[in-house]
Amino acid sequence: MNFLQLFAHNLTKGPFTDPFPFEPAPTAKRFRGKIEFDPETCEGCRKCEKVCPAGAIRFTKTANGLEFDCWHDSCVFCGNCEFHCPTNAIHQTQDWHLAHVQQDKFSMVEHGVIPSHECPSCGKPALYTAAPANKIKGFSEAEVAEFRSLCPKCRGKYLRERKSRS
Amino acid sequence: MTEHTVASSYKIPVGPLHVALEEPMYFRVSVKGETIENVELNAGHVHRGVEYLATKRTLLQNMILTERICSLCSNSHPEALAMAAETIGAVEVPERAQYLRVIAGEVKRVASHLFNVGILAHLVGFEALFMHAMQVREVAQDLKEAVYGNRMDLGAHCLGGTRCDMDDEAIAFMRTALDKIEPDVRELEKTYRTNGSILRRTRGIGILTHEDAIACGVVGPVARASDIQYDVRTAAPYHVYDRLPVEVPVLDGCDVWSRAMIRLQEAVNSIEILWVCLDHLPDGPINDGGDPYIPPGQAIARTEAPRGELVYYLKTNDEPEPERLKWRVPSYPNWDALTFMLKEAKVADIAIIVNSIDPCISCTER
Ligand code: SF4
Ligand code: SF4
Repeated sequence: MNFLQLFAHNLTKGPFTDPFPFEPAPTAKRFRGKIEFDPETCEGCRKCEKVCPAGAIRFTKTANGLEFDCWHDSCVFCGNCEFHCPTNAIHQTQDWHLAHVQQDKFSMVEHGVIPSHECPSCGKPALYTAAPANKIKGFSEAEVAEFRSLCPKCRGKYLRERKSRS
Repeated sequence: MTEHTVASSYKIPVGPLHVALEEPMYFRVSVKGETIENVELNAGHVHRGVEYLATKRTLLQNMILTERICSLCSNSHPEALAMAAETIGAVEVPERAQYLRVIAGEVKRVASHLFNVGILAHLVGFEALFMHAMQVREVAQDLKEAVYGNRMDLGAHCLGGTRCDMDDEAIAFMRTALDKIEPDVRELEKTYRTNGSILRRTRGIGILTHEDAIACGVVGPVARASDIQYDVRTAAPYHVYDRLPVEVPVLDGCDVWSRAMIRLQEAVNSIEILWVCLDHLPDGPINDGGDPYIPPGQAIARTEAPRGELVYYLKTNDEPEPERLKWRVPSYPNWDALTFMLKEAKVADIAIIVNSIDPCISCTER
């Protein structure tokens, strides 16, 4: 190796380091960063909570519904939750800007609520979770919306009735 | 008049911090003048209880936990775990996934070997070469980030296949990266083969004779530099390695230099394997949901990690958590061989010799 050549190469083609934080650092498109949660598409299956090796995800049942929390400081960015999530409701973003001051450490949380409401059919409280994709094959948009609003019991009934109709 | 007595030999502590890498190894070295007489190894500074922890986590969680046992061999751990679980569950891995597994493994091998030879240049005091080797390695790091989303922990595997598929864009990125890195790695190999500074500090240093190597049961590049032709990829081919041009270089120099040369030659060969994999990557599925049923049973799986043979033992029962998960990492036998390599060595060569086994403490002490 000719080090003079290398020197000239590095002098003309360099520098090879990123000027971060003075300029934004380039981030790969597939970068596995901060977790994002979308309560709209979540089925509430809690698989992500089960497969998370770091215990960063917790679901809690409250009066509001099913509350989702993901502690960014516990998360190891493995992507297991995203891989096993049936709807991609939880996914990793390209964002890696997670530096924070010490007193913020417990508020570095991704929070979401799957709201609780009254089942229009039986009147019992139900979670407004997304309908499992494998159950609603061939449903029209109105049917999906109706199905979604039901409680688990009435969803079962709805499916049976729809099947017997067809 | 008081009489001064000078002891003929001293014991000096080496470590536990910054022996070669920023990992805690601790040696008590008896020296006579500049020469080492005896070495005592002390282990256990980074014991984290991962083996026990693994029995408290489900197999799906362990796919991630095992990846974090070691950073440089991080791909091989979940790979071996998946292979053991797939053996128990008789799970077929799709062909495309097998190729993707090879690709992930070989990219990690290139990066790992370049890191080790880079550090060697640093310990020799050849900083310009160190910087250059690390800059070449950076291409592999960028490649991992672009394809897998992380520079070290690829998360490539899942039970029954791979998690991460390669689309045309990723394949194109990999081709460009390989084009860029291949001539540089070949050039590095030439430099390490001929450069006077490297040769003076590494030839004839840290000798591990062929007989001692067999007695210690060393594996990986350390074994192959002591004329032991053993590589799991050819001895017990897994994935699609039997269809790939795997070369197992051996040297009989038994010294630090030979180990570095083996690593560089393997890096070149890994790049060749990657080219073949990219050319022959079949279409098809890459996994079957990643959550197959694993019945009770036990199995052993072996892979060739960058540091050598990695053995996994898995015993499952009716629970989602394994009953026992145990691994034998390559650094374990190689570490023991240090007592032979360091004998009669000079104090100034300790770091170079320790680095030559490419030690991974975090996985040895887990
Ligand atoms: S985010 Fe995904 S995995 Fe988690 S509960 Fe919702 S649907 Fe299930
Ligand atoms: S990325 Fe991994 S550690 Fe983070 S929340 Fe998802 S499963 Fe848990």
